[in-house]
Amino acid sequence: MAERCTQSRIPLKPVYTPTDVAGFDYRVRLNDPGAYPYTRGTRAQPPARAGWIQRELSGEGDPARSNAQFKYLLAKGQTGLDVIGDAPTMGGLDPDHPFAVHAIGTQGVSLCCLQDYRELYRDLPLDRITLSHSLPAVFVVAGLYCVARERGFSPAAVRGSVIQAPYYCEDCSYAIHMPFKLRVRMAADAIAFCSTEMPKFHAFLEDTYFISESGLDSVEEMALGFVEIRGLVRELLQRGIAIDRFAPRIAILLNCRMDFFEEIAKIRATRRLFARMMRDEFGAQDPRSWAVNIAAHTSGLSLTAQQPVNNIVRGTIQALALACAGVQAIEVSTFDEAFRTPSPEAHLVGLRTQQVVHLESNATQVADPLGGSYYVETLTDDLERRIWEMVQSIEAQGDPAMLSDSGWFRSLFQTAMERHARALADGSSQRVGVNVHQMPDEEDVLLRAAAERKIEPCRERVAYIKAYRQQRDAGQVRERLDALDVCARDDGANVMPAIVAATEAGATMGEMAGVLRQAYGHPADPFGHA
Amino acid sequence: MKPIRVLIAMLGLDQHEVGALTVARVLRDAGMEVVYAGRFNLPPSIVKVAFEEDVDVIGLSCHSWEYLYYVDELLQLLREHDVEVPVVVGGSVVTASDARALLDKGISAAFGPTATPEDIIATVRRLAGAATGT
Repeated sequence: MAERCTQSRIPLKPVYTPTDVAGFDYRVRLNDPGAYPYTRGTRAQPPARAGWIQRELSGEGDPARSNAQFKYLLAKGQTGLDVIGDAPTMGGLDPDHPFAVHAIGTQGVSLCCLQDYRELYRDLPLDRITLSHSLPAVFVVAGLYCVARERGFSPAAVRGSVIQAPYYCEDCSYAIHMPFKLRVRMAADAIAFCSTEMPKFHAFLEDTYFISESGLDSVEEMALGFVEIRGLVRELLQRGIAIDRFAPRIAILLNCRMDFFEEIAKIRATRRLFARMMRDEFGAQDPRSWAVNIAAHTSGLSLTAQQPVNNIVRGTIQALALACAGVQAIEVSTFDEAFRTPSPEAHLVGLRTQQVVHLESNATQVADPLGGSYYVETLTDDLERRIWEMVQSIEAQGDPAMLSDSGWFRSLFQTAMERHARALADGSSQRVGVNVHQMPDEEDVLLRAAAERKIEPCRERVAYIKAYRQQRDAGQVRERLDALDVCARDDGANVMPAIVAATEAGATMGEMAGVLRQAYGHPADPFGHA
Repeated sequence: MKPIRVLIAMLGLDQHEVGALTVARVLRDAGMEVVYAGRFNLPPSIVKVAFEEDVDVIGLSCHSWEYLYYVDELLQLLREHDVEVPVVVGGSVVTASDARALLDKGISAAFGPTATPEDIIATVRRLAGAATGT
């Protein structure tokens, strides 16, 4: 690298000294862990004591197979669950959609009806384990809510989270084929519903992980994240919901790349920015509203198809960074990430990575072990300033709906993708096995067989869902989908109760998504096949 | 001389667009015209666009395994419609054995994650030259 800088291109000095932190007021900028502005963490206890939720990304094939993955990981010591949907599910399409057939269950779980949720959560102690979902929020919240009630758990006791990225999902690989206004409304409806019905559940999990996997840097990642958090907060406030009703359950799922200190500084800066924004701008009074929970995925984009074993080393460095930053949950992207969602072997390595960092590194014995470092504090301040400047600059561009519709966000993602590719191609970003220390294919064999093993599409889901539709009370399904339609056309209503009722009657996600799209003037089937 | 025209498309619900955008830029920088069909295409629409836009090469970018099942249909449709355009498949998920299987099926070239921009440009130029007889 010609110029010394962080991964986000922040210029660096060769060394940092007391001069860099001159005039530093400890109480204002840092304060102790567990105290406002939470720069040093939301908890007073060090990570070894408080722990973090250790989970690996799961979801493969049909819901029963994904449930078996959960049980495998729990048996190996995982302390929470993390599930992602396959491409059709993420797009709000049923498995029998013509675009879905070759993608069913290959990149996550195929999930679309009440029976699926029953099988996904089978035997799980829903009041004792946290369930993190990378799935379309309104539908999975309804499914979880229904199953919890059926099985005799109070939904109020259910913990976990569901991701939200309504501003950006169409532009960064998880399109649900819905207009901006509807996406924002669904996010706000899910959050509002959970604030009363599932108050321990984080329905407001701002997901900056998947938006930044296109190649955004840390500043862009958090700036876009804050823009979206602020937009959703304003939306909820406009509905008359008091800030302290929902803010304690806001969490951020962020990305951890390879720049060890920058990622730690980013997390510290994020906590401080969030605390100040909540207290001073949005007037939150409950300290829990100021302290944001942070979960993290280690960056899949930082992992390589070449020499997959090196990815285990990358995951270790990233997990250690996250342990030092003090986060509430970690998911380590696995050595086969470049090829597939995790194999059982890769799951185990990812989980063991976390356990070794937690139990053996001793880095977790002290809260915020890097606090006070001339470098880390300077970088934290710098990131905080840059993130905040970018938030203000985006907000000054105008209405986010307009920025989304006009392609402004999309061009930001595209620029980042191209910048990332160019940096690898010209060698300005060095990647072992890719543009430095390469190996001929015939030598590059370690873990390759496991990494390259493919997952067959779960095509039997097509017949399954067709049969499922046949055995429903068709009149009741129609009636409840009609009720959802009426509700969706009323801006003042919350769609969640209607989605819960339709789910209970056996309506599928694709059917409900279709009703919602139509209520907003879009075709029920985004690809015109219905 | 007429610039080489290349269709860049992704198949099915594969949404990870980094590779498609990168290759599109690489080809444009090399002086080619790129018809960017982006995400969410099925074989019939690719054949239609390839025909209407009179492209010299079809490039499929893959970050999921859907291509494994769609390429047979695409090659079949191209034959049925007498569209003689070479098809190139590239993507991070394309392994060495996948590449061999693709070539056996009649794909003209396959690129995995180690492909360099120079390889891709040279191959597309060669295939376009063969296709247009220049």
